[in-house]
Amino acid sequence: MSMTRDELTKYIDTGWKCEGEIDVFEKDCETFVFLMDNCQIIIPEENRFFVDVNCHHLAAELTWYRARVMKKEIMTGDHAHANDTLAYTGMLDISHTCPKWEDILELGFYGLKKRVEEYKNKYSKNDKTKRFYNGVLKFYDGIDRFLERAAKLAKECNKSEMAQGLLNLRNRPPRNLYEAMQTSIAYYVFHHTFEGTYLRTMGRIDALLYPFWIKEDKEYAKKLIYDYFAEADRLKAPANIPFAFGGNDEKGNSTVSELTYEIVDMYANSNLSNTKFHLLCADNTPDAIVSECFKAIQRGKNSIFFLSDSKVIESLIKNGADICDAMKYHIVGCYEAGCEGELTCTSNGRISIPKALEFALNGGRDMITCYQTGLETDSHFETFEELFDEFERQFAYLCRQTMEVINHYEAHYDKLHCAPLFSSTYPDTLKSGKDLYCDRGAKYNNSSINAIGLATAVDSLAAIKKLVFDDKTMSLEKLTEILKSDWKGEEALRLTVKNKYPKYGIGDDETDKLAARVVDMMSSHISGKPNAKGGVYRLGLLSIDWRWEFGEKCGASADGRRRGETLSQNTSATFGAAREGVTAHLASIARIDASKVPNGSIADIDLHISAVRGVAGNEALCAMLKTYFDLGGFGVHFNVLDTEILKKAKEDPSAYPDLQVRLCGWNVLFSTLSEKEKDEFIARSEI
Amino acid sequence: MKGLISSIKRMEIHDGDGLRTTIFFKGCTLKCIWCHNPESISPMEQTAFFSVKCASCGLCKGEKNKSTSLKCPTGALTHFGTEYEADKLCEILAKDKAYFDNSGGGVTFSGGECLMQADFAKELAEKLKEKGISVYIDTCGYIKKEAFEKIIPFTDKFLYDIKAIDSKVHKECTGKDNDLILSNLKFILEKGCDVEIRYPLVKGYNDSEAEKIGEFLKKCNFSGKVKVLQYHDFSGSRYEALGMENTMPKVFTSFEDVESAVNTIKSFSVDCINGITED
Repeated sequence: MSMTRDELTKYIDTGWKCEGEIDVFEKDCETFVFLMDNCQIIIPEENRFFVDVNCHHLAAELTWYRARVMKKEIMTGDHAHANDTLAYTGMLDISHTCPKWEDILELGFYGLKKRVEEYKNKYSKNDKTKRFYNGVLKFYDGIDRFLERAAKLAKECNKSEMAQGLLNLRNRPPRNLYEAMQTSIAYYVFHHTFEGTYLRTMGRIDALLYPFWIKEDKEYAKKLIYDYFAEADRLKAPANIPFAFGGNDEKGNSTVSELTYEIVDMYANSNLSNTKFHLLCADNTPDAIVSECFKAIQRGKNSIFFLSDSKVIESLIKNGADICDAMKYHIVGCYEAGCEGELTCTSNGRISIPKALEFALNGGRDMITCYQTGLETDSHFETFEELFDEFERQFAYLCRQTMEVINHYEAHYDKLHCAPLFSSTYPDTLKSGKDLYCDRGAKYNNSSINAIGLATAVDSLAAIKKLVFDDKTMSLEKLTEILKSDWKGEEALRLTVKNKYPKYGIGDDETDKLAARVVDMMSSHISGKPNAKGGVYRLGLLSIDWRWEFGEKCGASADGRRRGETLSQNTSATFGAAREGVTAHLASIARIDASKVPNGSIADIDLHISAVRGVAGNEALCAMLKTYFDLGGFGVHFNVLDTEILKKAKEDPSAYPDLQVRLCGWNVLFSTLSEKEKDEFIARSEI
Repeated sequence: MKGLISSIKRMEIHDGDGLRTTIFFKGCTLKCIWCHNPESISPMEQTAFFSVKCASCGLCKGEKNKSTSLKCPTGALTHFGTEYEADKLCEILAKDKAYFDNSGGGVTFSGGECLMQADFAKELAEKLKEKGISVYIDTCGYIKKEAFEKIIPFTDKFLYDIKAIDSKVHKECTGKDNDLILSNLKFILEKGCDVEIRYPLVKGYNDSEAEKIGEFLKKCNFSGKVKVLQYHDFSGSRYEALGMENTMPKVFTSFEDVESAVNTIKSFSVDCINGITED
């Protein structure tokens, strides 16, 4: 008998509300299994591989509920003010995980469970590890009962292929392409829905499926590819379902195969709106696969993201990974990298870089709320260097504050979250008998802080240097007053600074060096600093859609930005500032030392379709990408936009239901954007 | 030696092979009615005023000249015509060398008529070649032969415009006769230069020339490629901003028109491609 969602919620609520100390691992394992045993199983007509359930997000809510309680404890005093001014935020991240996909597809649930039993006998040392193994086994027993229940239901719904596959998976590892795909989707649901650990990559999908693919009839296998991705596209995910392809195996050989081309071809000919791809570009990745990806992008299928294999590996090694672990990296979420064996947390903290400058200029006070959220200072500087030092002092303070908040959560993993299934996929973790979260069972327990608004901050510093210290047009005090007034009566000055001054992203040597200096400075205060769970912090430069909310709370900045306007996106130039074009823009971004930014330094490139149409356009895009990576770039995504189509789609969304744009880290249907965002895309396409 | 340049555009894929940077030389020997770079016609410096961009900030005090255009914060006042030393310009152009190398690209001299400043063009081309950068010359061909003699040793490819074979049509559309253009073309072909012919197709003006162009090129034993370019009248606002009479024909040249011209030229066994699709 299955339960309604309300009934399931009610059951879990009693778990949330119990008083006093609870053993999270024990309690949660019990809850996960309860959900598997009692949820309603739905067989959507269009599904070929797996079922749907009625308990999405309930398991994750357990953790988020506890995190909210914890938030109330930590977000007081200065931290509360910082939250109001969005100088920084810190939080728990259970949202960017990658299990060991190779083992999952090789062993299947059956083999994974066998391995747990074997390791339990071999490695169980004490009550604590015994408790872990027993919890994991309970989870696998739950999976087994679920598969049995799902198979029965599938059979009743005349889905004999699905039913037979599910029964097979109870008794042996996946043997063919269909079963491998079924395992992939089923695992996602168990990990993401029943364990509540958000799963943010389906792995290096071409390499994972290839051993199964070569054994199949090609026409049959092609159809499976279409059906697999269509079904994965319907999985419930917070920001797309990511897949990686390309790249190299651990010996350094390219894993691009005919299957890789097949996947790209499928994507170019489908209307997938919730899927995103990461192409891992190594030196030996064939040019032809890059070209095929760009062909898809030229057709408006722009969810393919490009990463430099060598730069990702270099950044992970610099951050403490062993070379063999770094080479087997994975890409989770939008575009963040983690090494093999890393409990990847890519989104723990966020710091507003322009806010640190705002504090430096304004005595440590927020320009909008007047809260003293930064360090006190007299904001009097004789030289630009003195100003930069104060900016650094304020930024370092924000880092310490952010880490204090994150540490508060992460020191208490044992009270927040556990992941019996996820933990069991990594042999080393499994051997240790430790949960990845509760017992910190990962080899690498790192945390990440993203610094937001790089270009806004760099352009502002450059403008202050020119206005106040080089040209001596006005005093810093006067400029600060103008910023506090939001450029009142100073429109000519604002426009001059905005449009005429040197900017990051135009190949201006001095400004590019300044950007690299700011990144080095930030990295020195974040990357490699110890966290509260035995790992280190990693710097990221992802601002994705946070730039809007952080911008809203940020006073006017010296780069000509008005109060409340968005901050710059990721590692890209300020919107509209890359006036020398894409080649200059990419070259500027590549001058940042991306190896110091393991959590990602990303270029966002908007191109009008007329600039990159046809064969010549395809060749140009390939050359741009190659050059960007040659120059040291980390990752880039291209939005190929057509102004006229965007305008028409804004007027009549129903006429363009499939039109997609890439919104920072993920893809969205244009029709789902806010009016403000639609207008921004139209403006971007016109440049 | 200094050259007068109206603008520089990086990441161009329509002015030759690979990723290119195009330099628009100021001054032209023709005055085509459909010219989409009207700021490059006059060999003198010019300041344009784009009224839609004006924020009425008052910095220019209503004066329209080079100095106020440099101050203008919105680009409403835009100055066309900057003098560059060849060394300095070469340095700017070399910024994208990594992109040129990866794409088989380089620099394209365009305009205007770049060979109106042949000595400067030669000096610049020589310097670019020293750096291993490819040089393409986009020319209307209406220039004395000596100019070609100077530039040939430093040119990787000519992008050579043929607007019409019929001299009457040519004169009506460009203001000049085409004898010199056709004889220069023969000259550079005889010299063995790599040449791509560009035929800007303007419906109702020179679309009847396709056959004659095919015939002419066949007679010249032309073995290169012809690219038929689609005309559009997007540049109208620039005429207004420069205070010039907008002569651009209000006609629409369709994809099918271009295809038709391509097929006509191909019928003379001359390799020809559609400039819209590049194939």
